[in-house]
Amino acid sequence: MAAAPIGIIANPASGKDIRRLVAHASVFDNQEKRSIVRRAILGAVAAGADRFFFMPDPHLIVEQALEGLGVEAAFEPVDSPRTGSAIDTTRSAALMREAGCAPVITLGGDGTNRAAAKAWRDIPLVAISTGTNNVFPRMMEATIAGAAAGLVASGAIALDDVAQQAKTVHVRVEGGPEDLALIDAVLLDEPFVGAKAVWQPTRLRTLVLARAEPAAVGLSAIGGLLAPVSAREDAGLLVHAGVGGDELLAPIAPGLFEPVPIVSCRRLALGEAVEFEGPGVIALDGEREVTLHRGQRAQLSVLRDGPFVIDVARTLSLAACRGLFRLSPNGGTDAR
Amino acid sequence: MDISPESLLDMHERMVRIRTFEEEAGKLMEAGKVPGALHLYVGEEAVAAGIMVHLSNDDQITSTHRGHGHLVAKGGDLGRMFAELFGRATGYCKGKGGSMHISDLDLGMLGANGIVGAGPPIAIGAAFSNKYRGTTNVTCCFFGDGASNEGTFHEAANMAALYRLPVVFVCENNGYGEFTSQERHQAIHDVADRAPGYGMPGIVVDGMDAIAVYEAAGEAIARARRGEGPSLLECKTYRFLDHVGVRGMGVVYRTDDEVVEWRRRDPIVLLEERLAGAGLLPAEEAAAVRERVLGQVKAAIAYAESSPHPDPSALLQDVYTLATDAPR
Amino acid sequence: MTTPEAPAARQLPYVLAITEALAQSMRSDPNVFLAGEDVALYGGVFGTSRGLLNEFGPQRVIDTPISESGIAGLAVGAAATGLRPIIEIMFMDFVTVCMDEIVNQAAKMKYMFGGKASLPITIRTMAGGGMSMAAQHSQSLEAWFCHVPGLKVVMPATPYDAKGLLIAAIRDDNPVLVIESKLSLGLTGEVPEEMYEVPIGRARVAREGANFTIVAIGRMLGEALKAADELAADGLDVEVIDPRSLQPLDTETIVTSVRKTHRALVVHEAVRFGGIGAEIAAQVQEEAFDYLDAPVGRVGAPFAPVPFSPVLEAEYIPNAARIAAEARRVIGKAV
Repeated sequence: MAAAPIGIIANPASGKDIRRLVAHASVFDNQEKRSIVRRAILGAVAAGADRFFFMPDPHLIVEQALEGLGVEAAFEPVDSPRTGSAIDTTRSAALMREAGCAPVITLGGDGTNRAAAKAWRDIPLVAISTGTNNVFPRMMEATIAGAAAGLVASGAIALDDVAQQAKTVHVRVEGGPEDLALIDAVLLDEPFVGAKAVWQPTRLRTLVLARAEPAAVGLSAIGGLLAPVSAREDAGLLVHAGVGGDELLAPIAPGLFEPVPIVSCRRLALGEAVEFEGPGVIALDGEREVTLHRGQRAQLSVLRDGPFVIDVARTLSLAACRGLFRLSPNGGTDAR
Repeated sequence: MDISPESLLDMHERMVRIRTFEEEAGKLMEAGKVPGALHLYVGEEAVAAGIMVHLSNDDQITSTHRGHGHLVAKGGDLGRMFAELFGRATGYCKGKGGSMHISDLDLGMLGANGIVGAGPPIAIGAAFSNKYRGTTNVTCCFFGDGASNEGTFHEAANMAALYRLPVVFVCENNGYGEFTSQERHQAIHDVADRAPGYGMPGIVVDGMDAIAVYEAAGEAIARARRGEGPSLLECKTYRFLDHVGVRGMGVVYRTDDEVVEWRRRDPIVLLEERLAGAGLLPAEEAAAVRERVLGQVKAAIAYAESSPHPDPSALLQDVYTLATDAPR
Repeated sequence: MTTPEAPAARQLPYVLAITEALAQSMRSDPNVFLAGEDVALYGGVFGTSRGLLNEFGPQRVIDTPISESGIAGLAVGAAATGLRPIIEIMFMDFVTVCMDEIVNQAAKMKYMFGGKASLPITIRTMAGGGMSMAAQHSQSLEAWFCHVPGLKVVMPATPYDAKGLLIAAIRDDNPVLVIESKLSLGLTGEVPEEMYEVPIGRARVAREGANFTIVAIGRMLGEALKAADELAADGLDVEVIDPRSLQPLDTETIVTSVRKTHRALVVHEAVRFGGIGAEIAAQVQEEAFDYLDAPVGRVGAPFAPVPFSPVLEAEYIPNAARIAAEARRVIGKAV
């Protein structure tokens, strides 16, 4: 059986925002992203992948990662202009879907995966974290993440055996296009999108969380420390914050534990409608994205219709059980 | 970072002043009315304005060869600025500096500079001085992607971090070092990536979005004032006009499509849309600001044109500070 | 203020005269600080700032990275905002890596800004050969800086001047290069304990004489004085002038001497071609042509980099014997 191609989306802009100043977020320079791409490719090829489509970006992350790599595989950029913005990720994801990529490896934060899911809602993903407040992608060694992608692409491991479909928050703004978040959609008492990141707890109004992770950093952690909702649970969480609420100490950005005034908190059923009303700004997965004018409304709901996220550890465990990396005595690995 | 309506309108007006000043200066250069070469700041206004609204006259900036915008945003007198471009005795530098050395030390503007990369070492000196004198003043150092390849930038970055100096390195990354595009002059794309190597934070911000620059600059400057040391703020921006003058010399080194694409994100238009959306500046009021500023700029040009040329006797003055000069 | 001729009982080596000038200047003006490579903890590689860190602390005596552009630029920014920096560029050869800061920034800022800026910067640096330090640690590059409007250049030859010129430089509101001589560090002479200035721009008649003038720059003063003794045996009564300051240059003192003696020789350790000696000779000829009995002679290093080998270096650096020989040649030319 021919291996499916793997998509590679390396977001050059992740890991560089203002949270390096206002918090203590780590820095991912593009040289490190190149190295991560290299390791992911080498892992994937070792596990049987032989075709890759990648997102071209103005920083040439993947092109430079390929220089001198010397692997037996085909690499092709998808036909997307290099604007250096989130549009690149969205366009590339759409093109990777057409090219039959399964799975797509992403390097970025929650925002990067969100941009990909905007074009391909149930995209099969190996999501490597190179962002800031990451709930969706995981910090993991790219070699192994790449190997997991390779095992799925080659067909040695079935996607259904190792992937779980993620929840999403659907956001429908009156008079605007439909949008989505993978982790959180939050109404802020802010007039402008500005530097995008969210780090001031007093600005939080209403949080709709697809996941409320107690062990995460960011807005999801607020819910997580109140009433955890895991990725597996068929529910979301609705939190109202604001003046007069009981204070909860939460890590809203790396290194930044801040008191957040909580007015109320309750679980949401999948599909249950929530409404935001302006004025304010809606942040999606931790980035201010949409300005709501006074009286303007937005409808939100949590659904389970998002990306299929590959569990890397489980994939490698299955590979081990099946002896996929054994080179002898029967000659060659199954993985290859 | 809170941003008051006054700050927003102030920022907008500074940007309009820069744009109008530069467009009129460009016309004067094209008409052969001002001597020498002008490096115009059109397109990059959000950076100067977003930084400068946080600074007082006791906070310093170092500038670049593309320095008019920095002085306008720092509160420079338009009449004296145009007089300097015309080389008149009433100019900021009495006609001895011109466009590339325009300065006003009283405003903390330590000079436009004809040498690419000269600013960072001077900026750390001013920042050192702020710290030495026990003030909470900061120095903002403007430099470009091109200057980030000069050794001076690296020496200054290292020393700023080493001594925890109150300086903010503001990289105006407009994608070109003179006529050489960034991918042809450095192997990295984010100059901010260099900051951690010196032991300071570096962040990237949309340099066409004045509010984004304002927020990021506010945090970086506040951090420096608190004594927490330097940071690097890379503002992704674009030079709408040529390296020199308006049309340059006709050599093709960037595509018209690229220029058109960036002009779609005109920083003044972007800000006006946001201000209109927030009900702070209806379109007719924005037009009124432009009209009023144009009047100021025209008056400044008239003042400059009617100003006297320097007397030849001035040639040998101001080379040295004389013992008889009043103490500073 | 004392004059050079005033008696001073105390003897001090050149190196300690520098240290004393630094210490007294820092005591008297809180805006004065010292920055440079190894100036604080180590006390300067030539020992010129020993003890200053203890007295003034790390805020005012600052070890820098090996970053000459950074150091010189720091001085420009600090001076433009009200401080009075002293920076040390360890070897004069290293000025090449901060030429922009000195030549394009410090020197010109006042003029470029229409007179508004004032940059009281003192740049101390060690010049000269004689220690087998070869071509990148031995040069005398003073002529370069004399060519740049906005800079002042002084070269102290004696412990007295090492202190007095340095204090004057620190108090000056302009950028001043103080070019010290590493081979003179142990030279001992009279140095008053109190704070005094040697005014910049005034030459000193180091030895009075009637019928020959030697203008000797920096460390060459000592060699010229030896040569004068030697020439006295020939019956030549040599006047020796130490310009002390090269920019501004005290042309008047030199010309006055030549009008008296009718013959002149200019001596420096720097390469002869394009050296400051050429400027001095030209000025003497412009101002005192009718008084001259011979063309003005010049002694300087030959047109080669400073060599490493002690044998070659001895051949390279001017000394009393070469000065005397050149003086005799000038006299031989006398009409």
